[in-house]
Amino acid sequence: MVKNRQSKLTYLLIVILALLTLSPVVMLVIGSFSKGLNTFGDFTLAKYISVYTDPSFYAVLGNTLIFVLFSALFSTILALFLAYLNNRTNIPGKFMFKVISVVPMMIPHVLFAVSWALLLNPSNGILNLLLMNIFRLENAPFNIYSIRGMIMVEGLLDLPIAYLIIAPAMASFDISLEESSRVFGAGNMKTLFRITLPVLRPAILAAFILCVVRCLASFAVPSVLGMPGRTYVLATYIYRTVTTGFIADYGKAAAVGMSILILSISLIYVYRYMTRSSEKYVTVSSRGFKPVVIELKKARIPLFVILLIFSFILIMLPILVLLYTSFVPYSMVPSVKAFTSMNLDHWKNVLNDPVSLSSLKNSLFLCIVGASLGTLLSIFISYVIVKVKNKASGILESLSFLSFSFPGIVIGIGFMWFFVRTPLYATIWALLIGYIATYLPYGIRPMTSAFIQIHSHLEESSTVCGASFLTTIRRIVIPLLIPGIVSGWILMATMFFRELSLSVVLSRPGTETMAVQILKFSNDGLWGRLSALGIIMIGISVLLVITANLVGNHFKPETN
Amino acid sequence: MEIHIRGLKKYYYSEGRTIKALDDVNLTIPANKIFTLLGPSGCGKTTLLRSIVGLETPDEGEIKIGDTVVWSSEKNIYVPTEKRGLGMVFQTYAIWPHMNVFNNVAYPLQNQGMPKAEIEERVRETLRFVQLEGFEKRPATKLSGGQQQRVALARALVAQPKVILFDEPLSNLDAKLREETRKELRSFLTELEITAVYVTHDRIEALALSDTIGVMRSGKIVEIGAPKKIYFNAEHQFVADFIGRSNLIPAKVKQQKDSFTVVQTSLGEFVCKERDYPLDSDLTLCIRPEFIDLAEEGALDQKNTLSGVMETMVFVGDVYESEIRVGDVLFMAKVDPETTLEVGDPVTFSVKPEHCLLVSE
Repeated sequence: MVKNRQSKLTYLLIVILALLTLSPVVMLVIGSFSKGLNTFGDFTLAKYISVYTDPSFYAVLGNTLIFVLFSALFSTILALFLAYLNNRTNIPGKFMFKVISVVPMMIPHVLFAVSWALLLNPSNGILNLLLMNIFRLENAPFNIYSIRGMIMVEGLLDLPIAYLIIAPAMASFDISLEESSRVFGAGNMKTLFRITLPVLRPAILAAFILCVVRCLASFAVPSVLGMPGRTYVLATYIYRTVTTGFIADYGKAAAVGMSILILSISLIYVYRYMTRSSEKYVTVSSRGFKPVVIELKKARIPLFVILLIFSFILIMLPILVLLYTSFVPYSMVPSVKAFTSMNLDHWKNVLNDPVSLSSLKNSLFLCIVGASLGTLLSIFISYVIVKVKNKASGILESLSFLSFSFPGIVIGIGFMWFFVRTPLYATIWALLIGYIATYLPYGIRPMTSAFIQIHSHLEESSTVCGASFLTTIRRIVIPLLIPGIVSGWILMATMFFRELSLSVVLSRPGTETMAVQILKFSNDGLWGRLSALGIIMIGISVLLVITANLVGNHFKPETN
Repeated sequence: MEIHIRGLKKYYYSEGRTIKALDDVNLTIPANKIFTLLGPSGCGKTTLLRSIVGLETPDEGEIKIGDTVVWSSEKNIYVPTEKRGLGMVFQTYAIWPHMNVFNNVAYPLQNQGMPKAEIEERVRETLRFVQLEGFEKRPATKLSGGQQQRVALARALVAQPKVILFDEPLSNLDAKLREETRKELRSFLTELEITAVYVTHDRIEALALSDTIGVMRSGKIVEIGAPKKIYFNAEHQFVADFIGRSNLIPAKVKQQKDSFTVVQTSLGEFVCKERDYPLDSDLTLCIRPEFIDLAEEGALDQKNTLSGVMETMVFVGDVYESEIRVGDVLFMAKVDPETTLEVGDPVTFSVKPEHCLLVSE
């Protein structure tokens, strides 16, 4: 009977998951061959022909390649450098690495991009003005509205992702592999290039590929920093197709989206293959393994300063710039004049702006309800993946992994084709479903690892000790799951709260989210209001994470 | 090549305590022999080995390999590891997982810049020597533990170093394989006439493998000697106890007589193997369980005879591991597995004077 119930649950979950993840893809495919939103299914190749014969499309493609490859390279190299510093040297202040890898998640990408625009835009960027004053320059020395600027900002944004993949590999690296190389006559450099980097290659490549997928899907940076300089990448090209012009051409957008989606899905499967095959590099680890630390000596303090600057750039700088901008009446270099003219006008404007307030409400709703529903669904799916383990659960795993590769804006177009045919169109529920479908893997991953921890012996021994099924669930399973539930919820909540790329396609007047409202402010150049709303957004985001952590600690199993 | 170590010191500081990993070590490791550093974990043996190879920097002292000073605090000499031209087998084997067997073994030669054809020849030869012929193309990750161990050995031997170092290389093998490999390793090394320095905490491994054993404790070399000397004729209680199970009884020297030393213990007088200690010295009498001779009752006119009661008997196959109570002392004894004795029976036993070993602190 248990088996029967389990398989019913499995099939129900497969149906739900297929609806969530496959329907937008199917709709995207059909949509790309259709004449328009209202003539769904009327077959035509016109959209593909018009996209792929357009010379300007190839310029966009070129931009995308450069943007994606160099951003991913930048993040990967930075992550490698930082992971090495953390795991292999005696650099002081190691807790900073934890901060660097976690805290940036709380800062929405669109705000991070905006803060750099505020600093380095060519007309009145704060840093540019400052440098022009100091060195008496005629022109702004930096232009963030360029592909170089985009690469730098996107690279910094994806740094934590790359770091979280490379650092554990670096930490578990068996140091005697390097020592033996030195015993057998290779110096430090030779050892680095012939042993260390090749052994870490699977992790490095995995980080790079994941960064490529993220950059392909990235919308915040290309829209805030690329569009003002007319540097378009595929994501912003799609956005332009559906937002400008006489009528939004969702068919053409779908045809463009197809190429991103195919690329993205193939890369994610390459990534999956790589991380699987990386297990083959697991070596015997020694007893009493003591990682040998490289004495940095004279380089210790300079490297620490570099680390400090990094964390400052990643975490403090965006917040400081936004705070400052939210109080000064217009963009100016920090000075006595700037500080005396500070006022609360922007804050008052935002707090009296009905659209901003409704966006706040919408985002909070999506984040709390969405993350809770998403976590609930993740619990069931992870349970089937880990504990049921039949053929169907394999399908479930693959399906849930698929949406990992979904670029928000593309899947948004797919959902658009879907929702337009349902009463959900232009409601907040459309966003809710889209969010859960796109970000489900982020909930499933921590849940599966939590379930894996609960060895069936733990449940069985509880039963042997005389506990009923419900007692076992209450006293053994749930407490052990709590950390997974909390981290899954936090991950989803922070992602939902800052979600932009899906929202810009699906939100309509009345269902704007905070990130969409911020993008609107950015397009209109209303930096002060944007900053005020942005600070509110970051504040709520931090509060969410702290609360969820406290709740999680409250339920944590007893530890000393 | 001989290795000379003089005044070597290495201190670690952790949680406000000083740990003396090497506490003024003076040692000469003989050329072309197998020398084993034996000791409990944390005694400094691995630190000493790693200092010889250059992966660890001592605080003070000098290390000379052959005629070359490779490290000296006074003369400010540090020859980097890669320039010392040694071979080493690591505890984890440290087989590079991204290379095949050939490239793993060829690596030391490639670093010397040897011509390709010669490298191929040498690698093939070495692999034949460790009985891994034909494994060249095998990925390193597709090897069993024993095969990895052989690759590690081949890699350490291929460049024909004068000195080869082993850091507990057998500790990751299962018991049966460990025994076989031990035997093989001994025959390889004696055939090659190479100076081998071997670190282990396993006393049987040390006894079976070595020409000379150096026993270490708390950063110091306590005793050096051939395996038999260490086993039968240790001078320190720590060494005697570490190398094999022993009954230890406090003893005081009473007189030297007929090339024996007589001591007084709580169980009466014992006639022991001669040791040159002054009268009234406080020593420890050390008797190994296998040297306790059970005797028929009444048929005893031997020295060092004791009577007691059999308290426990555990059958482990080749012997009974038993305990005999004499007064307030429990004697460990190995008893013939075919004995008719049972727990509770009265027992009389004796120990030959040459098996009564007097050791100092």
